[in-house]
Amino acid sequence: MISRRDFFKKTIHASIASTLMGSLHSCTPSISYTQTLSGPNATLGHRLRSMDFGSIQKKIETEIVIIGGGVAGLSAARFLKKNTDNFLLLEIGEETGGNALGGSNSISSYPLGAHYLPIPNQNDPELINFLEEANVITGYENNTPVLNEYYLCFDPKERLFINNYWQEGLVPHEGVPLKDRDEIRRFHEEMNIYKNYIGIDGKEAFCIPVARSSKDEAILKLDTITIDQYLSDKGFTSPYLRWYVGYCCADDYGTTLKETSAWACIHYFASRKGKAANASSDQILTWPEGNHWLIKQLRKTVIPNIRHQSVVFAVNKKTNGFSVLYFDAVNNMSVEITTKKVIMATPEYINKRILEDSSNISTNLDYSPWMVSNLTVNGSLTEKRGETLCWDNVVYGSQSLGYVNAAHQQLGASDKKVITFYHPVLGSDTAAIRKRTQSRSIDFWKTTVLNDLKKPHPTIEEELEEMNIWIWGHGIVKPKPGFLSHSTINLERKMNNIFFANSDISGISIFEEAFYNGYQAAQQCIKSF
Amino acid sequence: MKDSSSSESNKFQWLLLLSVFVVATCGLIYELVAGTLASYLLGDSVTQFSTIIGTYLFAMGIGSYLSRYFKNNLLYWFVSIELLVGMVGGFSAGFLFILFEQIVYFRLLLYSLVVITGTLVGLELPLLMRILKDKLEFTELVSRLFTFDYIGALFASLLFPLILIPQLGLLRTSFFFGALNVLVAWLVAYRFKAQLNSFAKLQWSAFVCLALLVSGFILADKLTTLSESLTYPDPVVYTKSSPYQRIVLTKKGDDFRLFLNGNLQFSSADEYRYHEALVHPGLAALKNPKKILVLGGGDGLAVREILKYQTIEKITLVDLDPAVTELFRSNQSLKHINNNALASPKLSIVNQDAFVWIRSCAEQFDFIVIDFPDPSNFALGKLYTLAFYNQINKILSPDGAVVIQSTSPFVARKSFWIINETVSKSGLLTKPYHCYVPSFGEWGFILASKHELTQSNSYPQGLKFISKNSVEELFSFPPDMMEKTSLYNTLNNQVLVNTFEKEWAAYIK
Repeated sequence: MISRRDFFKKTIHASIASTLMGSLHSCTPSISYTQTLSGPNATLGHRLRSMDFGSIQKKIETEIVIIGGGVAGLSAARFLKKNTDNFLLLEIGEETGGNALGGSNSISSYPLGAHYLPIPNQNDPELINFLEEANVITGYENNTPVLNEYYLCFDPKERLFINNYWQEGLVPHEGVPLKDRDEIRRFHEEMNIYKNYIGIDGKEAFCIPVARSSKDEAILKLDTITIDQYLSDKGFTSPYLRWYVGYCCADDYGTTLKETSAWACIHYFASRKGKAANASSDQILTWPEGNHWLIKQLRKTVIPNIRHQSVVFAVNKKTNGFSVLYFDAVNNMSVEITTKKVIMATPEYINKRILEDSSNISTNLDYSPWMVSNLTVNGSLTEKRGETLCWDNVVYGSQSLGYVNAAHQQLGASDKKVITFYHPVLGSDTAAIRKRTQSRSIDFWKTTVLNDLKKPHPTIEEELEEMNIWIWGHGIVKPKPGFLSHSTINLERKMNNIFFANSDISGISIFEEAFYNGYQAAQQCIKSF
Repeated sequence: MKDSSSSESNKFQWLLLLSVFVVATCGLIYELVAGTLASYLLGDSVTQFSTIIGTYLFAMGIGSYLSRYFKNNLLYWFVSIELLVGMVGGFSAGFLFILFEQIVYFRLLLYSLVVITGTLVGLELPLLMRILKDKLEFTELVSRLFTFDYIGALFASLLFPLILIPQLGLLRTSFFFGALNVLVAWLVAYRFKAQLNSFAKLQWSAFVCLALLVSGFILADKLTTLSESLTYPDPVVYTKSSPYQRIVLTKKGDDFRLFLNGNLQFSSADEYRYHEALVHPGLAALKNPKKILVLGGGDGLAVREILKYQTIEKITLVDLDPAVTELFRSNQSLKHINNNALASPKLSIVNQDAFVWIRSCAEQFDFIVIDFPDPSNFALGKLYTLAFYNQINKILSPDGAVVIQSTSPFVARKSFWIINETVSKSGLLTKPYHCYVPSFGEWGFILASKHELTQSNSYPQGLKFISKNSVEELFSFPPDMMEKTSLYNTLNNQVLVNTFEKEWAAYIK
């Protein structure tokens, strides 16, 4: 994933005239705050279209090249490092992390993308091993992992602003008619059945990693319809339930009900079966900087092997291996690496451009654009009635996903806080939407964010000190109906000495998939020597 | 109804009668405001209302008497007095609110204000009667005037409890009626400017008064937060808002009480029971304690007890709020209570969040006193979690002990035993105990150590509560304070905060 910052910075001094009659409080002071609009730099990536990288100025050799420094690439590197040091990881950005980038200011670290990990399932020993290394799992009680209390999401976890009130939890109930609450309960009962369902092949119907899920036709046919269709077929009509399911799709996949494969949506509800000795299974692990914390743990041992600002523009087959050509933006020159094996930890739309033989690359994947905004607010936010500030704070009925409080996992008291606001840009015409998203002005995003936040926090603009907007052009892959046909569940991607690691090959962009695909690729790579 | 000689004179009467109505309404409102405030601030509403109303009516009598000294320019005087009533009455509540904490002779101020308002209101009716005496026949005049006066009174007495107090509150009500008074004064002056040779002056005065009253109305919320009087039973002698909390000190006789965010922290009359019980059972049981850590307890009262042990070399006090430690280090009365403990050369004060501090702490301590406020919110709840006690376990020396103030085992039974369970979960052996502190009620502590502790046979000289005999009783719990629980408090469940909230809510209800 491309991740170099493209930085426009401007300070907006917005003044709000105080009206005597409008506010019976004291005069509203004129307010000013800093705003930035940035995102992964597409310029370096876009040069892949023009291919104007000049002639090769340097030649080097290594055994294995990993392309891409997101979760998948770093997971592959971490695994390789246990066996060999003879490899290089090429990352286009100034920093590794992919979708799990993070930022920080004087108040707090904060996420720019993925921000939590569910309680890990027990069936992935390598993930468990990594979490032990990172001291996320601190021990075991009766064979059940004890998770580090500092990393479990502190209580209170989530609240929903509905009917002008902050209710506890995200499933709508405050002021929701009995009929709708019944439907929501029935939906969750159904999801629980899927959670425990074992296919005729003896495998779990919905598993993380996706590759280990059952191939039972009865289950797989859920991938032929949308979740919207599924809900209609099952007689789920409650607007509250549909909002909630829609929220979950948007939150996890950046998709609408009408786009999402029913299988993928149910996977969200039915695949998380992790257990912990000191937390219930619906709890999650999180850090102020989100999953960027996991990135820092993943890359700990492999930092010397990483080459930043290195855009690979060709992977060509040679006798006894490959020639990987990349442009080194730090030294401004093109380099050729001769290598025996290549691990592609890049999304499919990149693979398609740089692989000489791109015959078995999926070409019909869509990626949802996202806007992530970090807001520094001073003092306590003015609040409406109900539950106090939680980790995750969502507004019912909104197009956005609400915000996460980055300071939630801090132990000490602080009078300022950073909140991270998430907004997937929904819609099916992805290319047009991406273009529009990337051309929007900073004021447009400012209005989007503030209009949403003003509902529960009417005076947020007065409390705001800084707003950093981050645009992901290619956010995460959309699991649309039929996506399983080219996913790891059905397809073992085989190419001579090229190994695929990105979560795109699962079709679901979550940490566990990228991690699994990463070390699987590394494992096969080592075996193939 | 009598025919008027002209429509002009008709309007004249009605306007003046309207002003009678407003004056009557406003007058009664000020009286009610004063009565209500006095009952709020001084207690005993029957006495307060009765004396306020009596004084007020008497003052109106004084006003009526004084009216004889106004000979000329009656209209001018009427308007001026009405402006004055608006100002005095309108600001009376705000004035009393702010000055309640500042001055000793509060009652004198209260009754002076009542007398002034009453006198001014008492002047108005006789003046008005004299203004109108040539316009109306006497029988008609008396009848109309008093009718409007009493209707105004009824109107005010119904409006006040049913609408004004619930909707506007005391302060805004008083400002609102002050402004109304001024508006009527201006209206009268404006209508009869021809008969007034100093209209411009009156008009300007009216505008200034109105501006002041409207600002008062807008800023009323700020005034209320300035005044804590409604929350505290005893006179407030010190207040300060730090970034973390609101510190309030009250004094009644010799009894100082400290409140943080409205919660009582100690009463100087019986705090010795609490602090002796907090420190001595644990500290006296240790062989040769040298290094002590106090978390919370910025009042220095635990430190005062700790300093009674000669072996002690170093005390570290970690309290979030420099405003608290500074207050107890510099204020004469408070230094007297903590025996100037915070000035001890053995003591070093760290103003930092305790959780953040202990996570980076590399030393070990022989005795740790944890004296945080009760776990009434999520931020405080973090300081009672397994993660916190795990860290305490790490910085506790092998033969050391830790004691934790653990809320009331009588009121919040479950909460108390959850804390006990959480501490044991961290691997420490716990010995819960409790004592009776009159201002708090039955209070609980958890003593914990790595090895079994045996109670000491000797305690420092001069203790008023703890002795060899009294200590033993503290460790026995009657059935109404016992509770079995397997729940323990973690950062990710905060079960303690939720339980604590329920238990105290049920108790207060």
